[in-house]
Amino acid sequence: MSQVEFVNITIDGTTVQVPAGEMVIESARRVGIEIPHFCYHPRLTMEAGANCRMCLVEVSMPRKNPDGTLALARMPKPQTSCSLPAAEGMVIETETPMIVEARKGMLEFLLINHPLDCPICDRGGECPLQNNTMHYGAATTRFVEEKRHPPKAYPLSKYVIFDRERCIHCARCTRFASDISGDAQLDFLKRGADMEVSSFRDTEFTSLYSGNVIEVCPVGALLSRPYRFTARPWDLSTQKSICTECSNGCNIKLDHRAGKLLRVNARLNEEVNEEWTCDQGKFGMDYASHEKRLRRPLIRDGAVFREVSWDEALTHVATALSEAGPAAAFLGGARSSNEDLFVLRRLFQEVLGSQNMDHRLGPAYPSAADVRAALGSQSPTPIAAYERMTTIIVFGCDLAVELPILYLRVRKAAVRRGAKVIECQPSSYRERPHANKVTDFAHSSIWYEPGQETAIAEALAHVMTGGRDPGASDGASDAAASLPNAVAEANVEFGSAIPRLDDGPIAIIIGRDVWSRSLSVPATLKAAADKMGTPCVINTYACSVNEQGARELGILPDGSVQASAPGLNADQILHGLKDGTVKALWVSGVDIASQFHDPELVTQSLEQAPFVVVTALDLNRTATMADVVLPLASVAEYDGTYTSMERRVQRFHQAFDAGVDVREEWRIAANVGMRLGVDMPYASWRDIFGAIATSERAFAECTPDNLGDGGRLLADRNNEDSR
Amino acid sequence: MAEKLVLFEHRHLPGVETAAVYETVGGYEGLRRALQMTPAGVIEEIKVSGLQGRGGAGFPTWIKWNGMLGNPPGDRYVVCNADEGEPGTFKDRELMLRFPHMIVEGMAIAGHATGSATGYIYIRGEFTEPADAIRRAVDEAYERGYLGEGIRTDGSRFDIHVHLGAGSYECGEETALMSSLMGERGQPRAKPPHAPLPVVAGLWRRPTLINNVETYACAPHILRRGGAWYASMGTERAKGTKIFSVSGHVARPGNYEIELGTPLLELLDMAGGVTGGALKAIIPGGSSVPILPAAKCTDVRLDYDGCRAAGTMLGSGGCMVFNETTDIVKLMWVTARFYAHESCGKCTPCREGTRWMAKIMDRIVQGKGRPEDPDLLVSVCNNIDGRSYCPLGDAAAWPIRASVLQYRDEYEHWVRHKTSPVGEHSVPKVA
Amino acid sequence: MTHDRTDPAYARRFSPDAVRELEELVARYPQRKAAMLPALWIAQREYGGEITAEAMEEVAHRLGVPPVEVEGVASFYTMYNLKKRGRKHIEVCACLTCAVLDSASVIHALEQRLGIKAGETTADGEYSLSEAECLNWCEAGTVVQVGHRYYGNVTAEDVDRLLDDIAGDPRNDVVTHADTVVRVQLRGGCKGRPRPSAEVEADRG
Ligand SMILES: Cc1cc2nc3c(=O)[nH]c(=O)nc-3n(C[C@H](O)[C@H](O)[C@H](O)COP(=O)(O)O)c2cc1C
Ligand code: SF4
Ligand code: FES
Repeated sequence: MSQVEFVNITIDGTTVQVPAGEMVIESARRVGIEIPHFCYHPRLTMEAGANCRMCLVEVSMPRKNPDGTLALARMPKPQTSCSLPAAEGMVIETETPMIVEARKGMLEFLLINHPLDCPICDRGGECPLQNNTMHYGAATTRFVEEKRHPPKAYPLSKYVIFDRERCIHCARCTRFASDISGDAQLDFLKRGADMEVSSFRDTEFTSLYSGNVIEVCPVGALLSRPYRFTARPWDLSTQKSICTECSNGCNIKLDHRAGKLLRVNARLNEEVNEEWTCDQGKFGMDYASHEKRLRRPLIRDGAVFREVSWDEALTHVATALSEAGPAAAFLGGARSSNEDLFVLRRLFQEVLGSQNMDHRLGPAYPSAADVRAALGSQSPTPIAAYERMTTIIVFGCDLAVELPILYLRVRKAAVRRGAKVIECQPSSYRERPHANKVTDFAHSSIWYEPGQETAIAEALAHVMTGGRDPGASDGASDAAASLPNAVAEANVEFGSAIPRLDDGPIAIIIGRDVWSRSLSVPATLKAAADKMGTPCVINTYACSVNEQGARELGILPDGSVQASAPGLNADQILHGLKDGTVKALWVSGVDIASQFHDPELVTQSLEQAPFVVVTALDLNRTATMADVVLPLASVAEYDGTYTSMERRVQRFHQAFDAGVDVREEWRIAANVGMRLGVDMPYASWRDIFGAIATSERAFAECTPDNLGDGGRLLADRNNEDSR
Repeated sequence: MAEKLVLFEHRHLPGVETAAVYETVGGYEGLRRALQMTPAGVIEEIKVSGLQGRGGAGFPTWIKWNGMLGNPPGDRYVVCNADEGEPGTFKDRELMLRFPHMIVEGMAIAGHATGSATGYIYIRGEFTEPADAIRRAVDEAYERGYLGEGIRTDGSRFDIHVHLGAGSYECGEETALMSSLMGERGQPRAKPPHAPLPVVAGLWRRPTLINNVETYACAPHILRRGGAWYASMGTERAKGTKIFSVSGHVARPGNYEIELGTPLLELLDMAGGVTGGALKAIIPGGSSVPILPAAKCTDVRLDYDGCRAAGTMLGSGGCMVFNETTDIVKLMWVTARFYAHESCGKCTPCREGTRWMAKIMDRIVQGKGRPEDPDLLVSVCNNIDGRSYCPLGDAAAWPIRASVLQYRDEYEHWVRHKTSPVGEHSVPKVA
Repeated sequence: MTHDRTDPAYARRFSPDAVRELEELVARYPQRKAAMLPALWIAQREYGGEITAEAMEEVAHRLGVPPVEVEGVASFYTMYNLKKRGRKHIEVCACLTCAVLDSASVIHALEQRLGIKAGETTADGEYSLSEAECLNWCEAGTVVQVGHRYYGNVTAEDVDRLLDDIAGDPRNDVVTHADTVVRVQLRGGCKGRPRPSAEVEADRG
């Protein structure tokens, strides 16, 4: 990277040093001046920007006089500071009478066709148009003509409503669609005062990132359907949280009122999600204040459940578990917090003496030791680091669905930085209906049928390590001709030639379906990258919000140094329940009856199980088969930490009180432990997190107070002894 | 003074639109000479000629050409702006119909001078006949070796592709033209100080030279007869000849080629003088420039400085003449509707302001004007002027504002009496 | 969003000739998208004078751009017919000079003769009438454009003769208009950089 050059510019009399080429609107912030604007957004490209003309400033540039002295020459026209690169000696004035007049004029133009229906607009109270009009606008209107009246409240999609009347044509949403999510489903139609934002022929806006346009819109034109008319912004409280919909660990804000979660917005984290969310995260978290939430503990009474006190329920659980002892088992936990998992693990290992625990729900996983053996140690790789990859291989992963925020980074790497993206996907992915596909920006797409994964990996490795047509000079290898027999026999369709890979970091993202069946895929690719001599990240990502935490904390049959012998894995546990070798089961926070790879086995096992306790938010299918059901606090209702896919530990905060008798899982586990005679005197998440940091190598550098707002990456596994 | 015919010298020569006849009057000699010179030599000749862009802004042509040379090697483009859409202007149309080879030759010279191998001529969609003429000329030029590799010996080549617009005045603005040529909506792109000039990063971010049809048509003559010869015409600060399109209430409307600096009233005489009554006003440079009342027309010389001194602009040379039956308010109502129709919509002041002005004017000519309307119009113009993304906003504001300032009494008459101050036979008619 | 170019679902109406024509046009530019305006001209012809939703999808597919972008472009320019127009589109310049030379009376006379208002199409689908912005032949105001032909110095009295003249001449049809535009466009200036795509090669057999 080249050295950043600095220039001196003067803004309203204050001289400041800024990077050359920085937009003046940003430089002004450095000296505490906020220049009003609508269309400017630092993450959106300028090509379609600089259109609202609200950020005008007067500009003077130094000019050489004939005698060699310098004089300031004022540009004849005001300039938009959002698109004006700072240059040496530039003098900016942001409050001259002309600028004051210009802003007033611009607001008048924006308002003449605006419906001014702020009292019934969701944006009222947090609307840049409203705020700027208060500060810079005129008090009266001189417009006596009929306003434009396009249709109001047009439903663009399941989540987004479009009020065209309110649109100020800033092109933020259209630029988001073309620059960031890349599906380009929104654009301007027509021209002049008839110009309007639209999807193609008003078809459904199927982007998986549609909710972001609600946030980037500076007026109340694009609105959230679920949130519409539910609240006024000034009545909302906001709490910092982490999205629980996948393992990306997106930073979000929970807006709530009276114990109800009303809205999810993105929270800035440059390393993780920048300021974006996916629709699943933005609109999928309604469970927190769902009517179906469990309110009290339940105990089975024949065919029905009976509401009981916590005391009664916990005593019942403690008795059953102590009777089972080492024959007790534990399933799930990938959605529980680090603290929950740590206390649960202690309960099983120390109190019950059982290592029968597994958080994995997929088929026949390789064991933790196998994974380590195949891939060696891995450094944590922040999502932001994917921007700097030269090559990214996506193998058997519908990225936008499984890791939506990582998808945006991979797309950015490809589109803005020219990274080569190679995807190898099951051919069924071609028919997926959603709008965000790696194929749109991939250098090559290779489609295979299930079963051909290993052959494909070998072919890729072959090309990566130089097994190519030596005569090929145009950068594309004659891959098909020089591929190993295995591939030729597999008759794989190569979408296009695999490119010659440049030196530089490679990231390989491998879907669960692929690596859980065969570790040879990641291993082959890793070996090939090692042979190339380039740094390589293999991402066998976790899927659920704290699945990575469960890996780190060893919620695995072979995952603990404390255990002398490995316990049973998920399949073995379920079979054990059937044949009586497992005597009690604790299912934590996950509906295994729906999510386990073999739901039939779950149903049979639970029917025959001597004792099952389930912790849950609502009465899910697994819970209906339990002996005891314990109501859990949702992420909005307690404090704790999660470990995201990239091994980042992040804090979530309690937003509100559920108003019903729910508890954190760690509190439940500690209470059961206490009843069985082991003291686990934890008063808050802090106590437990402190204990984790003391006992777990990876967490050694963490303290409850050093996680900050952006979280903290766990220590490198290289420094960790094998567990 | 009379006409000074350079481009139009052989205007009446039958068949001059064919290569064979064009060659008999010196056609393609300029290109042959240019090909024997270095690019820098060609540009020097253009510099000496003092040629300024004929598309409206009058920017010195050699500076643009020269700007192309400083770029690192790679693809570059020569673009001819044949989008002629400025109301009152029809010179490029006649040039293309009568002298298509002059334009092809001019572009080929520019291609050599700037090291470009590809030329695009962007012709407005309505101009099907001129486009046909250009296509025939391009074909002939290939046959005769003026395009392609042909007569070149250094291995270079120059191709011209015709690109048709599809109905948008804004696409004449050079950055919007580039958007349109790249297959996008005809909206303008950033310019200095926000982005590099087209000659540095234009089409597909490659160096791109954009000139008007008439500008390119001058190049063959300058190369054939020398820059100094060209500079001997015109005035000290405005060299050469310029074609003016005269229309409206005149006896002989049409294109007139005159030396820059010729008095406006002489041009009027050439066109046979005013018809249907006394002279009321002239718009000398296309609809975008401020209107000149008759009293102010007497001393105006038609060059860049002269027009500016009179409070208007030379613009594209669309000289519209109006007699005393003309109702200025209705004329400006037509103008306001034009700009509202042609605003691309990208930026706030132009998108909202032009439509607003058109609505105010609609009201006034329907007899629903309010006393505050003239001031409101001026204020709206002031709020657009200088603040829009591209100069279309300015071009919409200037004529309207000038008309209110010069003819305030006519606006007030409309507002007060709900009728035309010129009487019931006023033109234009309200359709 | 790129569509699979071999997917027949998107290739609806372009004839093999039209496909070849488009590919030759595409070869003139460094990017496929640049052929958008010509592609829309072709689409207008191939779809019978109207750019329908399917036409836009076909263009999007052939140029590899999102459909909404095609709609954005098609709706920006006035000469693309997003609604069905009459076979002959009569456009009367109503801009400055022509307005001053009384184009209003020409429009009025045409409205009377055709029994429609400016902006409308006759019931038999034969004529559309519109007011146009400056057609830039002001020396001959009032100027009327029909299809690819210009008529100059038109007055209200000329309207009958004008209609007689255009009635029998297929060159004035909207569809022919697009046809002429595109086909003629091919004759000139396509000799540089011939880069026929695989698709064209295939069509050529
Ligand atoms: C709204 C607008 C419309 C324009 N229309 C045309 C046009 O139709 N033809 C043209 O040559 N220049 C037109 N121009 C000027 C061009 O932007 C540009 O200055 C010109 O093509 C440069 O060529 P020249 O240097 O040879 O004059 C227009 C400018 C504006 C702002
Ligand atoms: S909808 Fe909103 S974001 Fe989109 S252009 Fe309109 S105001 Fe801007
Ligand atoms: S004003 Fe009608 S052609 Fe010029």
